[in-house]
Amino acid sequence: MIKVENVVKTFQGRGQIVRAVDDVSLEISKGEVVVIIGPSGSGKSTCLRCMNGLESFESGSICIDGLNLADRRTDINRVRREVGMVFQQFNLFPHKTVLENLCLAQQVVHGRKRSEAQQKARALLNKVGLAFKEDEYPSRLSGGQQQRVAIARALAMNPKVMLFDEPTSALDPEMVGEVLDVMKQLAAEGMTMVVVTHEMGFAREVADRVLFMDQGKIVEEGTPEHFFTNPQEDRTKLFLNQVL
Amino acid sequence: MQSQKALWPWKLLLAAIILMMAAGIWGATKQIDYTWRWQRVPQYFIYQSETLQPIPFDGRVHKIVEADKSALLTLESDTGETLEISVDTKTLEVSEGDELFEGDYLGSISEWRFGPLLQGLGVTLWISFFSGIIGMALGLVIGLCRISSNYCVRHLAILYVELIRGTPLLVQIFIFYFFLGTVFDLNRHVAGIGALAIFSGAYVAEIIRAGIQSVPRGQMEAARSLGMTVPQAMKNIILPQAIKRTLPPLAGQFISLIKDSSLVSVIAITDLTKGGREVITSTFATFEVWFTVAAMYLILTSLLSQIIFWMERRFAVSD
Ligand SMILES: Nc1ncnc2c1ncn2[C@@H]1O[C@H](COP(=O)(O)OP(=O)(O)O)[C@@H](O)[C@H]1O
Ligand SMILES: [Mg+2]
Repeated sequence: MIKVENVVKTFQGRGQIVRAVDDVSLEISKGEVVVIIGPSGSGKSTCLRCMNGLESFESGSICIDGLNLADRRTDINRVRREVGMVFQQFNLFPHKTVLENLCLAQQVVHGRKRSEAQQKARALLNKVGLAFKEDEYPSRLSGGQQQRVAIARALAMNPKVMLFDEPTSALDPEMVGEVLDVMKQLAAEGMTMVVVTHEMGFAREVADRVLFMDQGKIVEEGTPEHFFTNPQEDRTKLFLNQVL
Repeated sequence: MQSQKALWPWKLLLAAIILMMAAGIWGATKQIDYTWRWQRVPQYFIYQSETLQPIPFDGRVHKIVEADKSALLTLESDTGETLEISVDTKTLEVSEGDELFEGDYLGSISEWRFGPLLQGLGVTLWISFFSGIIGMALGLVIGLCRISSNYCVRHLAILYVELIRGTPLLVQIFIFYFFLGTVFDLNRHVAGIGALAIFSGAYVAEIIRAGIQSVPRGQMEAARSLGMTVPQAMKNIILPQAIKRTLPPLAGQFISLIKDSSLVSVIAITDLTKGGREVITSTFATFEVWFTVAAMYLILTSLLSQIIFWMERRFAVSD
């Protein structure tokens, strides 16, 4: 489903070159839920952003469902349609109502009819438990509700893969649960997911595989079991000691 | 809890200060022995013009039908043609059966006409309107070029903005009229509108650029991650938010434009300012006319502010 091979991404920052993603390779098969953990600045976001073409990379290749992102001839917008992304800061469109947030891209990108888009949108809002908020503007919703809308908005495009970049980090603690519940439900339905998170409980419960990243590299990889019982690398142990 | 402070002493003070300033102006004009002739001004807004009506041929008045206000004359020429002309009853100078020569006056017609001040206001309005629309479109395009990722396009836009913002509008109007106007054979109105549009376009471009850049990066990323192309995202997501944020500075820009349009009077376009000058040459009521012209600009600009204020409230529903 996703095949990342030797990807390198560097940033030119104040005289020195930052290797944000440093020779990362990984493979994710259909229906798998992969959780990426790691300290701040280790390149987790950049890695995710490379996977849906928000960030270009210097070398290596990323294939998503057979589409090669490194190939100039690939239609990048087609890749993005297949890959949904949920951001830490929700990034809902503030000038549109909840329903419009879900319908807009369907109509613009997929050329769906208004009624068809609304039907799909309402079904998804039902699923995330926010059907009663369809006419509200995002600024009137709580953080947890906004994030659930953002998830529904990504799902409206029928993505084959969902990427989550710290979806609960900007939320008040009491709202984390409702968002994680939606994500668990999604995982149970067999969605292929890559989740960057600090929620170890979620990783333990839902992840098929956990990756630990540090300084742009994947340091350790394994089942949640492996991570929480006997991590091998020193850096992993240090990090887990800090967050658990 | 501190109760609301009484406002009325300050209102009183404000009124007193304004009154004092008015008195000061009045006193100053007393010193220089100026006679105010406000009664001369209204006729330059709107006036009744009398047009004398001559008979176009040698002939006689066949019949006159007099009504309350106007009289209908049926004229018969020596060669047998008939013609109907109406004049105001009060001014009727002939009676039935009179023999007349070509060019003799039958009477006159009076009608209401706009004076130079209202005509000038009209010119100011449509010049500002068209240069505003063109300037807005130009500014939008240049503003988008200004943040383009293409080096050449971006720098062309920067060059345009810097050139226009770095030179006086008056000089631009002269260049536009005397140089470009001659080369491309433009009439003065086209040259005036063109100069104003290009001038305001540069400022609108900067406003639009700032507006677009004030929309959080995440908005574009979210739109792109949903599969929208850059133009789709611009049109549906970024610009609507940017325009909303830029409404107050854009309003300021258009108000400036209305005021700046007074400079086109230097290329002999009879706008409100030039209209005022013409009235002064025939009335010598210098102070009255300039105060009147100022008031007319003020009314125009405050109307515009009101409209923008109303639009802002409409847009504010999503906050
Ligand atoms: N747009 C950017 N410009 C310059 N440096 C960046 C940019 N984005 C990220 N970086 C750098 O890349 C590294 C990885 O960042 P990031 O992927 O955001 O880490 P994480 O999400 O794991 O916290 C950091 O050192 C960060 O400073
Ligand atoms: Mg991050």
